[in-house]
Amino acid sequence: MTPKNRKYNSIFIGLITLVIVALTIVLVINFIRYSRRFGISNDDTAYDRYYVMITDNSNSSFWQSVYRSALETAESNNDCLEMISDNLSRDYSVYELMEIASISGVDGIIVNADYSEEMTELIDRATANGIQVVTIYNDNSSSERLSYVGMSNYNLGKQYGELILKLAQEKNFTTDTIEVVIFADTKPGDAGQNLMFTAVQETVDAEPDEMRETHPPFDITIYGVDTTNEFSVEESIKTFLLKDRESLPEIVVCLNEMDTIAAYQTVVDYNEVGLVNILGYYDSEVILNGIDRNVIYATISADTEQMGRYSVNALDEYFRYGYTSQYFTSDISVITKDNVAQYMGEDTDEN
Amino acid sequence: MRTRFRNMSLQIKLTSISLVANLFVFFINIVLLAGINIMSRRIDTVYQANLQLNELSVSLNQVQDSMTEYLNAKTSDSLENYYRSTQVYSEQAEELSQVVTGRLLDRMEYSIRNMSEAYLNEVAQTIEAKRGRNVEKYRSHYEEATKLYGYISTYIYSLNNEQFKENSENYREMVSAFKTFEQGGNLILIAVIIVNALLILRLTANLISPLKTLAGRADEVGKGNFDLEPLPEMSRDEVGVVTGAFNQMVISIQDYIRQVRESAETERKLKEKELMMEAHLKDAQLKYLQAQINPHFLFNTLNAGAQLAMMEGADRTYEYVQVMAEFFRYNVKKGSKTVTIGEEIELVDNYIYILNVRFSGDILYEKEIDSSLMNVKMPSMILQPIVENCVNHGIRDMMGEGRIKMKVYRQDDKACISIEDNGIGMSQEMIDGLLNGTPIAGTKKESNGIGMDNVIARLKLFVGDDDVIHIESEGEGKGSKFIMYLSTDSRETADV
Repeated sequence: MTPKNRKYNSIFIGLITLVIVALTIVLVINFIRYSRRFGISNDDTAYDRYYVMITDNSNSSFWQSVYRSALETAESNNDCLEMISDNLSRDYSVYELMEIASISGVDGIIVNADYSEEMTELIDRATANGIQVVTIYNDNSSSERLSYVGMSNYNLGKQYGELILKLAQEKNFTTDTIEVVIFADTKPGDAGQNLMFTAVQETVDAEPDEMRETHPPFDITIYGVDTTNEFSVEESIKTFLLKDRESLPEIVVCLNEMDTIAAYQTVVDYNEVGLVNILGYYDSEVILNGIDRNVIYATISADTEQMGRYSVNALDEYFRYGYTSQYFTSDISVITKDNVAQYMGEDTDEN
Repeated sequence: MRTRFRNMSLQIKLTSISLVANLFVFFINIVLLAGINIMSRRIDTVYQANLQLNELSVSLNQVQDSMTEYLNAKTSDSLENYYRSTQVYSEQAEELSQVVTGRLLDRMEYSIRNMSEAYLNEVAQTIEAKRGRNVEKYRSHYEEATKLYGYISTYIYSLNNEQFKENSENYREMVSAFKTFEQGGNLILIAVIIVNALLILRLTANLISPLKTLAGRADEVGKGNFDLEPLPEMSRDEVGVVTGAFNQMVISIQDYIRQVRESAETERKLKEKELMMEAHLKDAQLKYLQAQINPHFLFNTLNAGAQLAMMEGADRTYEYVQVMAEFFRYNVKKGSKTVTIGEEIELVDNYIYILNVRFSGDILYEKEIDSSLMNVKMPSMILQPIVENCVNHGIRDMMGEGRIKMKVYRQDDKACISIEDNGIGMSQEMIDGLLNGTPIAGTKKESNGIGMDNVIARLKLFVGDDDVIHIESEGEGKGSKFIMYLSTDSRETADV
């Protein structure tokens, strides 16, 4: 080994040692920095306002879709929005959740209300605490709520009525009467629901005479679905549809997602396809598949994106300007076999 | 630093090398361990939040219990308990988050904080109503408070769960980070070990390399090569000491060898001088002997004898004395000079004449001479001794007529001289002895004292060839023959 080589060798070993020491220090520093971050969420943006959304069946794709849209709008306005039932280890009723929300210091509540007095009282109490309440999908017009966001029930009823007429024309019913059953909530005093029934009835009644003669007369009844607990809906609908085949209604009208899926599943399970025509509600994947397979005749979908957006905007408008509109009407679209393909494409993207 | 390191002893050097290597590993280890330590402390602090929530839950229970107890028993103890627990609870609730952030846990804390306020308010009203004995009112407030208590409990429970979930998530990440850290640490440790090995290799090579060169040198010295440059002394450790001693040893050996060589040289010179002294002595002795015979006196004496014989009319005596004078003069004059073949033959003629006078014509002498070769050079005193040898050993003791035949002839480019007698002959042993110059038992030195071995040696020296003389004899009683081969070139050189 020449002295020159030796010198280079020394420098080389010295460099490697330095590199190793540097690497160690970098590793440890990174590690410490990482462990400092540990346990602290990086999202610590403070929000201007805190809204909560309260619905029954918050896991249904309808409400998830509404929530997604509302959340998007809220975040773009620097508001915090959450579905409080998601975070709690116990399942509370809408009323209990309303109670919790009204004392947990939120700025606004978006609630799928009903016409019960209890709900009215809860909304009024929250409003008294300085919390603004927006009802969504189902209204409680007798309360002090700020706004209602949803479909026009009259329009909805009209759409169902037209679908019933269309069905009567397409299918050659040979029974004495065309029995139409509308599944309704058993919650009391729902003015919106009543308005819709009226609209259905009016639309059917307004059928021109020359068309009315081509089919048996309609017999429209309302069946109250038991909504007392989470699983009662499905049981109730199943019980209704498990009659002998002769007494099955020709047409059933479902006014929410759960009812539609329950009816669809029962008809498929008990081989009643073709005997019962289902008019559904909402455009979840299951329902769209039902249409695609000719089990569900048609479904009416509310624009969930609009509903979510409008509900948050209503609250924000109020906080910004001190007032806002009392009604926000979202669009309605009818999905049948003819146009189901385009919705299915959209839906797979969302889910 | 470097020189100081060089001057340390081997033991200290090796110890310090291993110390440095170990310190390096130790340092890296300490740093890695420190990282792990900090990490595990972080885990502790994270679970602290759960602990706090549990405390909050306990306080909440105490508030509720003390309220219930007061409602049941209305003791001052329970009231005191109530005040104390409310104090504790509200203090703890104060620590909860006051802002709504993107973090769910913060929002839940915010909700609990607000709900706690409502709850404590409700509890206070309950106690107030109880004090005022308003049964209806305190019952409804109690129910409300209990409901809120339930909500808050659920919230705390849920928050705890969420926190635990997040902690578990974090813990998993932490574990994976730990793993990464461990791998990184292991890699670094492996690198450190490799570098350490290199370091030790390098440092020990530094220690060993002078030892290696020293071993190489020692090996060379062992093989007998002492002519070496002294090794440089790199360090002052044991190896350095040994190197110095080795250098000293090599120098000493070189010195010793020189001394031995010098003494051998002087001895050789002394011997040479002694030999020369001896030669000179011999020379002096010879000169002394030669000086005793005064040639002028001898010749003058012989000439006087010759003149006397002429005056007395004794012609044969005159001639005899004249030839004898001639014979002796040749001996003195040409004793050590190069002569021609002609001059040598003339000497032989004179010698035979003298012998024939002495022994009254016993020897028959024949000549067959190529006269063109008479000027070829040769050493003096060659032919006469050979003829003398033939006479003395060949024909003197034989019965009948002795005969000597001399021939000079050309063979190839050589001048050949052959002398032949018909005497008793020679055995092969005798011939070999003569040619190799070993003395032969029973031969006597006579006449001019020039022996055959001297003759042959001089001939060989003159010609520069061992194959200059041949001796032939066909056996006992069949005579012998001497043949000499001389280069004719020597005539030319002699002419110049």
